Amino acid sequence: MAKKYSLNELLIIAVAREIQDFENVVLGVGLPTTAGALAKAIHAPKANLMMESGIIDIDPLVQPNNIADAMCCRGYSCATDLFSTFTMTYRGFVDVCFLGVAQVDRYGNLNTTAIGDYDCPTLRLPGAGGAADFISYAKRTVLTMRGGEFVNKLDYFTSPGYLDGGQSREKSGRFPKGSGPAKLITRKGIFEFDQTTKELFLSQIHPGITVADIIKDVPWELKVSDTLSETAAPSDNEIDFIRRFAPAESLGKSLMLELATKKFLTEASEKITLP
Amino acid sequence: MTQSNSTKVMTTKEAVKRFVHDGDTIITGNYTEALPLSLIFEVIRQEKKEMTLYSQSGNMDAEFLVAGDCISRMVSTFVTKWGGRQGGSMVGRYLKAGKLEIEDYTNFTYNAMLAAGAAGYSYMQVLPAIMDTDVFKKRGFMGANKFGVTTCPFTGKTIPVVPAANPDVCLLHVQRADKYGNAQHWGGLGSTVHACLASKNIIVTCEEIVDHEVIRSAPHHTIVPDFRVSAVIEEPYGCHPMELPGYYGTDLNALSIFMFTNATETGLKDWMEEWVYALPDRSSYIQHYIETYGLPTLEQYRAKPYYSAPTNYGISTKSLWDEQGKSIEMNIDFAEMEKLIVEKGDLVNG
Repeated sequence: MAKKYSLNELLIIAVAREIQDFENVVLGVGLPTTAGALAKAIHAPKANLMMESGIIDIDPLVQPNNIADAMCCRGYSCATDLFSTFTMTYRGFVDVCFLGVAQVDRYGNLNTTAIGDYDCPTLRLPGAGGAADFISYAKRTVLTMRGGEFVNKLDYFTSPGYLDGGQSREKSGRFPKGSGPAKLITRKGIFEFDQTTKELFLSQIHPGITVADIIKDVPWELKVSDTLSETAAPSDNEIDFIRRFAPAESLGKSLMLELATKKFLTEASEKITLP
Repeated sequence: MTQSNSTKVMTTKEAVKRFVHDGDTIITGNYTEALPLSLIFEVIRQEKKEMTLYSQSGNMDAEFLVAGDCISRMVSTFVTKWGGRQGGSMVGRYLKAGKLEIEDYTNFTYNAMLAAGAAGYSYMQVLPAIMDTDVFKKRGFMGANKFGVTTCPFTGKTIPVVPAANPDVCLLHVQRADKYGNAQHWGGLGSTVHACLASKNIIVTCEEIVDHEVIRSAPHHTIVPDFRVSAVIEEPYGCHPMELPGYYGTDLNALSIFMFTNATETGLKDWMEEWVYALPDRSSYIQHYIETYGLPTLEQYRAKPYYSAPTNYGISTKSLWDEQGKSIEMNIDFAEMEKLIVEKGDLVNG
């Protein structure tokens, strides 16, 4: 019988499958680092994983805590800096990058800055980080959305996707040809962008999810591929890797923290001897 | 995308044949120290023509390439008079004969062109006083594109700028590299990093091709990551008679002979007949040196080790699971964790 797996695990595995051997890959912290490590361990051992702080060609042993966490691996090939990573991206040497999304519009433009009024936000989000520059100049960008939302209009335009759709990104003259978001992977399915209109459409659906489940999240009339397929089920190998590498991704952060805190407090109380 | 691994390790001959072409703009990656002379001799042997040379130090690299009739244009900041006060230089002789054009920059403005090229910028700000000099005013083959001026949007001041340089090929010699192309270099770097990163192809010769693990243990020495490098060649004595920290010092014996022969055009060309054209590669060059001057002469310049302190890249954990298979963070083993995922997780196939 096939192993039971969570939506979050399926999402990470779908992201990992976007990484190929010999690609230069920029990973953001969190989900993409687990996906990168998974890809390198299972199907793309020659992928070059890097983080924007200037840590090039890592082989992560544990999940990095941040994008400058050189302690996630034992050695790496090249120590440079953030400025060099971005200029390298601008020069066209980054094949693929992964960005998390809070709000996305139909043309793949992103908001990761603030929900509500920017000057008095309902929810202040992290901000641009590396997103705006990576999605502009990496050859390909894969978007991931765990808790975010589809909107008709972004509350804040943090990072450029296909702007107003159609030829608008290419016509602006500010982006390299062929760049831009290639896919959006959510907990429910995988979306791609129409070659002509540059509008998001549903191309794959995760097992157990219906098209109706997805349509209800999207405030415009979502197009669905004629060849809509189901996301391939993960292998036991892939699932096991995630569980060993990043238990927090499999258990969920709150459950993992609950267990960790319990262990820490038990051990601490055993050590304390009152006078 | 990074090229596949096996294709990058090759001979100097093959690398020059594949990546250096007539009419190319080539750059000496190293600054004075560690000049990539093995690569330069091969370029000369393959009789590449009509190239433009970027050379910050205008040193032996330029002298040989000019004498080999490989370059017709040169961008530099310095013309080293290798022929001494009376003898002058090959560059000087070719300029006088109208066989070479030169564009003069300062060390900083030259490096700024490469920094712009490395970053992908189209130009870069330089320091304002240059506008009072003939370096700025006198234009050679680059004409209007040698320097430009712009206005700072914040201060309103006039700012001189240089255009980005992106040479076709960078010739580089380093201490060590791995077979993938990660090149490690230490010493007087000058503009080396920008020269490499600005270029379209980078050919690396190194004293030693080392195991990838050696590179990984010292990532701060990597000046150019593998995916930027086109060719890797293990070439001991690749920059002889110039120096390379940790390997050998400047060979004063060879330099004095070079200085003597370079006092005249025919003198240098005769020397090159024997030491460049008549020898197929660097190992036969070193062999010829040993036969001519003796091994002790060569050996006296060998570097005596002075190791830097090891750098500790230690990590606190290699795995979140201990040897008994228990989670280091949580008081559960793998099977217990899987049970929790099934009980409490957001399952797809639950």
